[in-house]
Amino acid sequence: MGGLAGAGLLALGGRLAQLQLIEAARYQKLSAGNQFNYRLVPPPRGLILDRNGVALASNRPNFRLMVTKDADMDPEATLDDLSKLVPIDPARRSRLLKDIARAPKKAPVAVMEDMTWEEFSRVNIRAPELPGVTADMGEVRVYPFGGAFAHVIGYVSKVSDRDLEKAKDDPDQELLHHPGFRIGKQGVEKALDRELRGRPGATKAEVDAQGRVVRLDPEGDIPATPGKEVRLTLDADIQNRALEVMGEESGAIVVMDVRNGDLLAMVSAPSFDANRFVKGLSGPEYKALAEYERKPLLDKALSGNFPPGSTFKPTVGLAALTAGIDPEVRVACGGSWYYGGRTWRCWQKNGHGSQNLHEAIKNSCDIYFYQTALKIGPDAIASAARAMGFGETFDIGIPGQRKGLVPDREWKKRANKKNPANQIWFPGETPSYGIGQGALSVNALQLAVMTARLANGKKALNPRLIKSVGGKEEPSGAAVPDLPFTAEHLNYVRGGMAAVANDVRGTAYRQSQLGLGDVQMAGKTGTAQVRSYDKVASRKSDSVAWKLKDHNLFVAFAPYDDPRYAVAVIVEHGGLGGATAGAPRAREVMRVALLKDPEIRARIEHPAPLPEEPVEVDGAVEGAAPEDPVIDVPPAAPTEQAAPLVPAPTPGVPR
Amino acid sequence: MTLSGGLSRPGERDRPIIKFMEIDWTLCLVLALIAGAGALMLFSIAGASWEPWADKHLLRFGIYFVMMIILAMVDLRVWFTMAYPIYGIALLLLVAVELVGDVSLGAQRWLQLGPVRFQPSEIMKIGVVLALARYYHGLSADSARLSWKLLIPAGLIGVPTLLVAHQPDLGTAVLIALPGLAVMVLAGLSLRLIIAGIVAGLAALPPFIFFVLHDYQRNRILTFMDPEKDPSGNGYHIMQSKIALGSGGLLGKGFGLGSQSQLNFLPEKQTDFIFATLAEEFGFVGCVSVLFLYGVAIFMALRIASISHSHFGRLAAAGVTATFALYVLINGAMVMGMAPVVGVPMPMLSYGGTVMLTVMVGFGLVQAVRVHRYTEVTSGKGSLM
Repeated sequence: MGGLAGAGLLALGGRLAQLQLIEAARYQKLSAGNQFNYRLVPPPRGLILDRNGVALASNRPNFRLMVTKDADMDPEATLDDLSKLVPIDPARRSRLLKDIARAPKKAPVAVMEDMTWEEFSRVNIRAPELPGVTADMGEVRVYPFGGAFAHVIGYVSKVSDRDLEKAKDDPDQELLHHPGFRIGKQGVEKALDRELRGRPGATKAEVDAQGRVVRLDPEGDIPATPGKEVRLTLDADIQNRALEVMGEESGAIVVMDVRNGDLLAMVSAPSFDANRFVKGLSGPEYKALAEYERKPLLDKALSGNFPPGSTFKPTVGLAALTAGIDPEVRVACGGSWYYGGRTWRCWQKNGHGSQNLHEAIKNSCDIYFYQTALKIGPDAIASAARAMGFGETFDIGIPGQRKGLVPDREWKKRANKKNPANQIWFPGETPSYGIGQGALSVNALQLAVMTARLANGKKALNPRLIKSVGGKEEPSGAAVPDLPFTAEHLNYVRGGMAAVANDVRGTAYRQSQLGLGDVQMAGKTGTAQVRSYDKVASRKSDSVAWKLKDHNLFVAFAPYDDPRYAVAVIVEHGGLGGATAGAPRAREVMRVALLKDPEIRARIEHPAPLPEEPVEVDGAVEGAAPEDPVIDVPPAAPTEQAAPLVPAPTPGVPR
Repeated sequence: MTLSGGLSRPGERDRPIIKFMEIDWTLCLVLALIAGAGALMLFSIAGASWEPWADKHLLRFGIYFVMMIILAMVDLRVWFTMAYPIYGIALLLLVAVELVGDVSLGAQRWLQLGPVRFQPSEIMKIGVVLALARYYHGLSADSARLSWKLLIPAGLIGVPTLLVAHQPDLGTAVLIALPGLAVMVLAGLSLRLIIAGIVAGLAALPPFIFFVLHDYQRNRILTFMDPEKDPSGNGYHIMQSKIALGSGGLLGKGFGLGSQSQLNFLPEKQTDFIFATLAEEFGFVGCVSVLFLYGVAIFMALRIASISHSHFGRLAAAGVTATFALYVLINGAMVMGMAPVVGVPMPMLSYGGTVMLTVMVGFGLVQAVRVHRYTEVTSGKGSLM
């Protein structure tokens, strides 16, 4: 028996040797894993600033209430206890129970965000008696301007199962599962999510078996690396004003610096408050946004494709000049023109009379452009359109652009593969191409790029939205090849646009007066047909349902003698004639851009002693003799007060 | 030992002072060292505090030590006479527990008798050894080998074992049955019967595990087979205990620095798993030292059994030693992940009065066997008086 006991003791000693001597390292690691716990510290998300350093997306403190799932935790009882401290309604309760059931073991689930200080301290005092309950202070994304940047910047929101699916090889798995973490869902927040995210840190804590922190070990902490700061080219003042002037209308405004391609504003209206998405939208709230007919969730600046209407005429003009058309060859406009078996009408029923190119742009004469288009053909128009930026998407760092369509003969062949009879370009399609209708479709960004390229007069500018990421400057939009047009031709077309806005007989004269002294705007109106007018007696749209009204477009740049800013405005269903809805809004936004520019300001405050020769407008084109030299235009009073947005209804309704 | 040579005069050995001198003080020292190690560990895991365990542990040891000395001087013939009565009382109490006992931690083990609350199964651990030793004392060697008379010791062991197992307290049942069987073997059981018994026992094990045991008992055994299968449930205790042991390494993490026990990762750290605490803080060296002390105690107790002149004394001392050794081996194996988790503490080291009382009473009996090693014990009643 002594032998048995001795053998038993020896066996125990042997086992001890195995565990304590041979496998000691393994168990020491396991022991340290028990003893120390690294708690993830989410990094502060990088700020998104405008070009002047104004915060467009920042972080604010957020008092959160979290429960950590545990084997011996009763979620129902815990929520019952908590509902005595903070309000938890039944709908929220059932959602939380589902969340808790789904959460992995030991993963905290956020019960409440954004508690008041009172709620936070109430819970914090009781937390020790409530197993698994913690109240902590995290950070939450905040968009100080609410809706103005919602489409460009997007928003962050809870990480969904689909996000997790997509982020399978993302190295930050732990961070993605953290209850306080929000992932970029749209716009810049999504496109630059990795850069903005930063690197998580950790706090080292000694914990007991119940997971309670026994001791913090600050020396073992790993600090979080904040996300990179992203600076946009946008200007908060211009952007805010742009959204403001859109009012209840649906549409988009894009403002560009014509010297370098920087986007100063890019607004889609109506908008939505991105902050609501950070918190998590309720079902009815989301439904209301998604089902509203003016589509607030759609980014109309990038993804809304419209026929450009008459805003396309300067491009056609360029195509004509490039094709060798003499701008002084006149076309007689009698209000209608019979071609190809149908009557083509000018928006001016009574006709414009004899028109050269300059006048045709100024008056937006349809007859002139029908015939000119027919003379040069669709391919010449298409190549000019492409050179101006239509039919392409730009790398502005965020997704969502729809490139629209620039039709030509080649396109017809491709588009009608199954219908050989339709593969040829019918001459009857060309006249409407000349006035920016038909298959042609563009977006607001392209319109702004076209205007900026025209205003720049040299470079085929690319738009730029992201100015810098983490202090590293993104390439400028001006480092690009020149436009395939001569300066002479560009100047001629610009002259026409100057007349639109500054000739008293121009289609948008009254709506284009900036009231900034000799700093003046050049522009072009446009109307995009929504329906066929054949069966409708009047194109005047006051009596027509909103959905059936024409889209109202306006593009402009200023100052016309030394261009700096280009603007494109699309007002969906804004009614006939770009001047009514588009031009006044363009003017307001342009005023903000100009007044923020110190050099322009100096020029307004200290006008040049002598009026300069109007070189840009009528001096550039040899032999050209516009009837209405722009210097004759009486400058409006230099006032900074905003003129009324929408002027009294204009008789005649030019488009 | 030194005095024993000159103690040949009749009656001389009955003098209390002589009896006192005849006590094996080395064994007492070893027991005190073990209890002291226990107090040290209890002091450590309480966060360097005598409260709430270490002080009581030492106080109990002191009281029980005095009791052991007194029991050591009780004449072996009194033990012999009281063997059956003690067994009988223990059996009655076990039945009483079955009928009116307190339910604690899901098992019916405790009996409230006035102000005293105790587990009758502990008395039975000593009782069964005494009764078997008493029975075999008057049995011929042939009968002890193989005869119908073996049904009596089998019953003496079987009845209390089943009663305790039904409480259910598997650990104690084992500690009643195995020492009992050890006494039977030492009394000269036929080798064939031993082998047959072992075979039958092994064959009965699987049906026993799957049909007789409670769910929690079965889970403990299944978990023991594969502790990693369920590390947060049943396997948790075994896993954490192994981590505590293994992470102690050669020299341990140091006194009061065992993270597994101090941070409560170790379950039952002051009772069943105190050996893991010791292992964590004092490492292989500390563990082997303590196991050595246990080995010395077992060896000395067995030696006492071997020098006893009476059959009763030999069997009783050996049976108590078997109980003690089984405590150490079962607890050690459990803590080291070699046996399922059963509620068997490490004697003298673990906190808890009942087991320490049982063990100290047992050593009181062992010492009594030593003190009265020359005493003739006869079956007759009158010889005592």
